Amino acid sequence: MILSSIVFLPLLFALIVAVWPKSNTIRHLALGLSLVEFVLSLALFRQFDPNSAGLQMVEKFMWIERFGIQYFMGIDGISLWLVLLTTFLTPIIILGSWTSITERVKGFHVAMFVLQTAMLGTFLAMDAIFFYVFWELSLVPMYFMVGIWGGARRIYATVKFFIYTFAGSVMMLVAIIYMMYLTQEATGTMSASLLDFYKLKIPFVGGTFFSLQTLLFFAFALAFAIKVPAFPVHTWLPDAHVEAPTPGSVILAGVMLKMGTYGFMRWVIPLFPEASEYWAWLFMLIGTVGIIYGALVAMVQPDVKKLVAYSSVSHMGYILVGLFAFNAYGMTGGLYQMLNHGISTGALFLLIGMIYERTHSREISKYGGLAGVLPLFTIFFFIITLSSIAVPLTNGFVGEFLILLGTYQAEPVFAYFAVSGVVLGAVYMLWMFKRVFFGEKGELVKDEHHPLHDLNAREIAVLVPLVIMVFWMGLFPNHFLNYSKASIDYLVNNRSNYNLTIVEPGATSTQHAQGGN
Amino acid sequence: MNMNIGLSDILLISPMIALFLVSLIPITAKVLRGNREQPHAVTLAQALIGIVIAIGLLIVFGGGGKTAFNNGLIFDGVTQWMGVIALGAAGAAMVMMYENPATTGKQFSELIFLAMSSAVGMLILVSAVDLLMVFIGLEMMSLALYLMIAMSHEEKLSKEAALKYFILGSFASALFLYGVAFIFGSTGGTNILAFMDSAAELVQTSRLFLFGITFVILGFCFKVSIAPFHAWTPDVYQGAPTPHTAFMATAVKTVSFAAFLRVIATKSLIGSDHLFDILQWLAVITMILGNTAAIIQNNFKRMIAYSSVAHSGYLLIGIITAGVSDNGAFGASGVIFYLLSYALMTLGAFAIASMLERSENHIVNVDDLAGFAKQRPMLALCLTVFLLSLAGIPPTLGFFGKFYLFNAAIGEGLLWLAIWGMISSVIGVYYYLRPVVVMYMKEGNAEVASHSLNATTVTTVIMALAIIVMGFVSGPIFSAVERSLF
Repeated sequence: MILSSIVFLPLLFALIVAVWPKSNTIRHLALGLSLVEFVLSLALFRQFDPNSAGLQMVEKFMWIERFGIQYFMGIDGISLWLVLLTTFLTPIIILGSWTSITERVKGFHVAMFVLQTAMLGTFLAMDAIFFYVFWELSLVPMYFMVGIWGGARRIYATVKFFIYTFAGSVMMLVAIIYMMYLTQEATGTMSASLLDFYKLKIPFVGGTFFSLQTLLFFAFALAFAIKVPAFPVHTWLPDAHVEAPTPGSVILAGVMLKMGTYGFMRWVIPLFPEASEYWAWLFMLIGTVGIIYGALVAMVQPDVKKLVAYSSVSHMGYILVGLFAFNAYGMTGGLYQMLNHGISTGALFLLIGMIYERTHSREISKYGGLAGVLPLFTIFFFIITLSSIAVPLTNGFVGEFLILLGTYQAEPVFAYFAVSGVVLGAVYMLWMFKRVFFGEKGELVKDEHHPLHDLNAREIAVLVPLVIMVFWMGLFPNHFLNYSKASIDYLVNNRSNYNLTIVEPGATSTQHAQGGN
Repeated sequence: MNMNIGLSDILLISPMIALFLVSLIPITAKVLRGNREQPHAVTLAQALIGIVIAIGLLIVFGGGGKTAFNNGLIFDGVTQWMGVIALGAAGAAMVMMYENPATTGKQFSELIFLAMSSAVGMLILVSAVDLLMVFIGLEMMSLALYLMIAMSHEEKLSKEAALKYFILGSFASALFLYGVAFIFGSTGGTNILAFMDSAAELVQTSRLFLFGITFVILGFCFKVSIAPFHAWTPDVYQGAPTPHTAFMATAVKTVSFAAFLRVIATKSLIGSDHLFDILQWLAVITMILGNTAAIIQNNFKRMIAYSSVAHSGYLLIGIITAGVSDNGAFGASGVIFYLLSYALMTLGAFAIASMLERSENHIVNVDDLAGFAKQRPMLALCLTVFLLSLAGIPPTLGFFGKFYLFNAAIGEGLLWLAIWGMISSVIGVYYYLRPVVVMYMKEGNAEVASHSLNATTVTTVIMALAIIVMGFVSGPIFSAVERSLF
């Protein structure tokens, strides 16, 4: 029952918050509840067997019998860390929004918890329709979050976000239904279970666009690519990020984008192995273009939040390239980079939110010389900047290094181009850092009437866990990768014959060693 | 024709008898009281009790494919489900009539009488298997409607709507009857059951029959607003008093689709590729046109009217699916389930519109919803649920409605129709989100009508809850529908 509790507790929390009578304690309540959720999710480690590539802690029962749709959840080394990323970031976001969300506080926290359920469900659902329900549900609270608490052009941004992502996923629904009929053809009974989908050997005729596997592949890949967001369907992201309130940006960059890359790992690559391999060049190309394009556009942004938003396009491009390298380095790097990006970019958005609260401006040219005024803030910002540009000893380095290594093994050409993103990343981040923190004091920093205050205790409490993670993940990547190794190895080695098995509770890992080889 | 009417016939039509008898109570009471209305609440209560009794009788005595009146009427799963949905929708619309400023005038008893008479026509329509019976049901339902739409005292729009509906409705009836004449000419009968099995062959061999079935289908296309025969829909939906619009958009549409389904399920589609192709294109055009036209509407009722045109397009996919399949039960249950979800969410949307009308001539625009979420958070949440459900976002009932419908279509190999359906739902999202944007994200002072609207509010909340809860248990409901059709 642990997975169900983890997924649906936030929904219960949303209800508790919604009926909570005292409005001045809602933040404390929400923070407390989200910490409970985090602690509960830590309990996953007690049951999780890192040596097994199978699906663990499975819960399933028939939901819609007529079509073989199940309530089916399970966790493996790939989803484990994404679940933890979600539960880890939520309390940080709630604490971070303490003073920035002042209107409709109750509604905000309700949306936050509903969103948490939707995201966790997306990572844990192992039935296609069950997954789709969570996948689409996540749009609704995010839509409200940007639309109600966002900036001036929030309505444009939120509608664009909703329609883009919804449009991407409807074809996936058609593909899912089609695959349900394929299971019926193959086995006689209809099923939407992912495990049954894996067993389908969908015909692939190399080269022709209209082979069945290719069509299904693109129906899924489009939905996930929009979510990632991959170039050229990324345009909703900068709008959504800039208009979203700080917590919205953090959750969007931190977790929601990962739903797309996770989709590639869990669905696209194992379900359509030949098509993935055949079209890998396309996605590596898209990823590489995204890396360079995102970085170049980020460089010229006058708005620091927009700069970070475009840097997301660049970073997510890395992940895409890594995944389509189809080797252990690339995949591991891709997964690691998902976590890294969640932490570093999440932290950057939080930091930007903090300075925005003080000056109500995000324009780089209006800052300058901030280092002398806000030393503590500068230190935190610097650490996160280093992590974002992947300096060794930080988490970002491990991810990018593995990705580049994997890409080089697979397709050296793409590695040559992708590596330029490392340089470009350093350029735009450090240049921004220089303009904001050093040099002449800008007009916002000089303002005598509104002296800037350095970080307070709450803000430090928000940032410290993130900084700890930056170094922990940078110095001891094996603490994290060991949990995913079996799953990723299995995915890499058995891609074309992927057959995830369910690990019975209490079984030793040796009995299920088939996952590890 | 020798006609033996036995007890079983009477029992089978007992829901209609009950409805008719109950409909007489308010006007009789009015006559006995010297032309003075009894309290409206009493009238409403009588009507609702009548509807509950009718639903009960329909469930108890109907079902199992029993026929009555010389095979003129059939009581099977379609009759039961569609009848219950239509009666439920009619009941909810009557609750709205009780509290809407445009319908709470002096003639409430007469209004309820008309609505109940229309409901009797509906029950005939859902059970009719003889084309002439279908015609009688259609006319009985429609005649009462023409009057209902015109009953609003002041508004010019409603008179215009009534006239428009009357003329086009009569035109549709004439087409339908013309088609029936052709069918009679070619088969020597008008009973669907009689030519059911030979329909596929008849369509190919007999021009007369093909003509006939085509005209019958055209008649239905008018009734259920399939483009390009939909042109009356926005005007009539907008002009009629809102509760009547709700009544038309849900109850009337449900039973019209039920009759449509019966005619199509004669397998005539299997026989004719042309008919099949034409209906597919009509479905595509209807979905796209309904959804794109809705985008530019500012009037809330007009927007929902166009959205209901789009939903007719989705339903037509289900009808086609049922028509081309040897075992129509799967497609048909998709249609029924979709109508169930459609009725709930459309009623809900109109209920909110009804509450926002502060006077008889009040026009509700989308922009009037500004600030609604702050004024009435509960109702705003309900409207959000209805709109998300109309847009087909999980986990609402509307999503599962689309899922089952498209699932059936894909199962029959109509993949491209399902893809068109999906593409047009994306267009739909754009305008369904607009009221949500206005409600939650724009400042304003939206207020519901000053007099208390408790009954409507309660109905609205119940419908919103039903949409969420039934979403989770949609599987058993769908299976129950499908089982009842065999």
